[in-house]
Amino acid sequence: MSKSRFSGIVLFGLVVALSLMMLPALSEARNIKVGIVDTYSGPPAVYGNDALNGFKLALEDINKQGVLGGKIEFTTRDEKFKVDVALAMAKELVMRENVDLIVGTINSGASLAISDGVAKAEKVPFIVWTAKDEKITGELGHRYVFSTAENTAMAGKAGAVGLAKKPYKKYYIAGEDYAYGHAIADAVWRYLKATKPDVEKIGESWWKIGEPDLVPYLTSISAAKPDCVIFCTGGTGMTNCIKAISATGFSKNIPSWFHTAIDYAVLKPLGAEAPEGIMGTIQYLPYYPETPENKAFVDAFQKAYGGPPGFPAFNAYVTAYMIAGAYKKAGTIDKEKFIDAIEGLKVPSPAGGVVEMRACDHQVTYPMYFGTTKKLPQYDYVVATDLITLTGNEVMPTCDEVLKTRKK
Amino acid sequence: MAFDLSAIGSQFFVGLSRAMILFIVTAGLSFVLGVLRVPNVAHGSLYMIGAFSAFSITKLVPGATGFWVALVLAPLVVAAVSFIAERALFCHLYQREHLMLLLFTFALSLILGDLVKITWGAEYRSIMAPAFFNGSVSVLGASIPRYNFFLLIIGPLVAIGLWFFTNRTKLGKIARAAAVDREMVGAVGINVSWVFAFAFVLGCFMAGLGGALMAPTTSITLGMDHNIIIEGFLIVTIGGLGNMWGALVGSLIFGLTQAFGVLFWPQFAIVFPYTAVVIVLILRPRGILKSVW
Repeated sequence: MSKSRFSGIVLFGLVVALSLMMLPALSEARNIKVGIVDTYSGPPAVYGNDALNGFKLALEDINKQGVLGGKIEFTTRDEKFKVDVALAMAKELVMRENVDLIVGTINSGASLAISDGVAKAEKVPFIVWTAKDEKITGELGHRYVFSTAENTAMAGKAGAVGLAKKPYKKYYIAGEDYAYGHAIADAVWRYLKATKPDVEKIGESWWKIGEPDLVPYLTSISAAKPDCVIFCTGGTGMTNCIKAISATGFSKNIPSWFHTAIDYAVLKPLGAEAPEGIMGTIQYLPYYPETPENKAFVDAFQKAYGGPPGFPAFNAYVTAYMIAGAYKKAGTIDKEKFIDAIEGLKVPSPAGGVVEMRACDHQVTYPMYFGTTKKLPQYDYVVATDLITLTGNEVMPTCDEVLKTRKK
Repeated sequence: MAFDLSAIGSQFFVGLSRAMILFIVTAGLSFVLGVLRVPNVAHGSLYMIGAFSAFSITKLVPGATGFWVALVLAPLVVAAVSFIAERALFCHLYQREHLMLLLFTFALSLILGDLVKITWGAEYRSIMAPAFFNGSVSVLGASIPRYNFFLLIIGPLVAIGLWFFTNRTKLGKIARAAAVDREMVGAVGINVSWVFAFAFVLGCFMAGLGGALMAPTTSITLGMDHNIIIEGFLIVTIGGLGNMWGALVGSLIFGLTQAFGVLFWPQFAIVFPYTAVVIVLILRPRGILKSVW
């Protein structure tokens, strides 16, 4: 036997041995890779970081037991609140990082772009956790996109149910001139008009995002003498607008409703100076409902990050459990089986009770709270009181309504 | 919809008060542009630093005193930052082309933006004007928020101060002369470098003052620099580059068209100030008042 043939046999043997060693490794557990695209710079970073903290907190517990023998790991990308950047990053996560699914982002436009350009095109599951445009799981929904955020339809309906109980007739609508602002305005007005047909819209004004000085808008709204104003702002615009209506004395004369006005992240920067009597809706409050689960969640979050969780942290926490639960149910790391498993999945809510990923439209069902701001001695910021809880079924458009919009 | 006179009156005064803040910020921008020939994109960042500094100062000195202390100290903090920037960076670059200066100040604005994020974090901040400023006052039947009324007083004071400085002080006259012909000023034996440093710091002080004055009416956040700088350059351009009174005229046009736009056609209010800019530039491409460029 020549030397070269001998070494050939040895080589062959080695290869076989190595492949045999590799085989069990392949079928053995691996980590689940989650790609996160969200805004971590600029004003919306507050929400991006809050969501990330909620996600990390949930993963700490989830990874103690592991999922399918492995862990859930994640990698983040900063999309800087830009649609094109977000799309490029989502593609990169799928192509180069081989992530098993994508989650994010706060930007509705970015979410829609990823939904269409990556999730649908590459057949990769995508869970939207902060962006609220109802089109994401409504008109433009499909098999690969999910939402663990409350959407504008839910928010609008919740606002309408709350407002319909009030005596106001003449409404003025004002807000930031971008997709979210208009989506909220459309939704709340659609449902309010349906529940209480005698309401009247006496005017609308829209300012550009980041408009620093709202006083000219407020004085002109005052001049129109509405019974109530529906403000459609988001993010920093919220804090800005609430501050302006407080400083000018507007809030003392005219009642107003904002979606997320009672959110902790909005009211906290204003401290005890925030105005009382502002109506708002939200799907999560760190102090309500006072369940043991919510208290434990807030305590753990506070300990880890030095402040109570906001709604993005809540959404992201739910998202983590949805992901873990779906993989456990599917029994394997497979994109299609993951989707089959997450449809209709119920996970415990950190606020108590359970939340469900609706199978028909991939929209998570949350109860919503409608409340009014008030100063209470035990808090150093203004909180929501007189809270009404609207169940998921009350605020969600029905499956038929949603699926009808998709057929158009 | 009918408008009563009082609504028009309030809107006029509110627009005027917005114009005052814009004037304070853009007068500084225009001054730097006129004397140093630097289109300072980082001016907006200095405005933002003024607002954030005001926030920190009100945290250290609580209550109404904090607000007044912040109004004085925050612009000085900005002046100190700009002094360092001038001595370390700008003073070597005055002879460069405008395009290069534009790129340089743009880069500086990004760096300052990140420094603000490192120092103050990404969260929104907010300060409140003293309780005295809450609510509205009635002037000739028009109701004006008190803080806006205060701005209406501050704006002209600043304008008079600037006029006094540039027309009645030696340093101001030298700065004005340097704006027209810097070589001549150097030739008569004046240390132009320090005149420039002073002019730069004064311009930036105005940005800081604008930021501190604006802080109680808005949320203090990253990104407020970009919002102001675009409007700032538009105002300076329609007023006449480098002309401080041009900044006043431009600010008045911008503030008032916005306020009345909101009153008369709220759905399209955003468009009004920009339409005014377009009209001015078509009729007077070099600005309303004499440009020093």
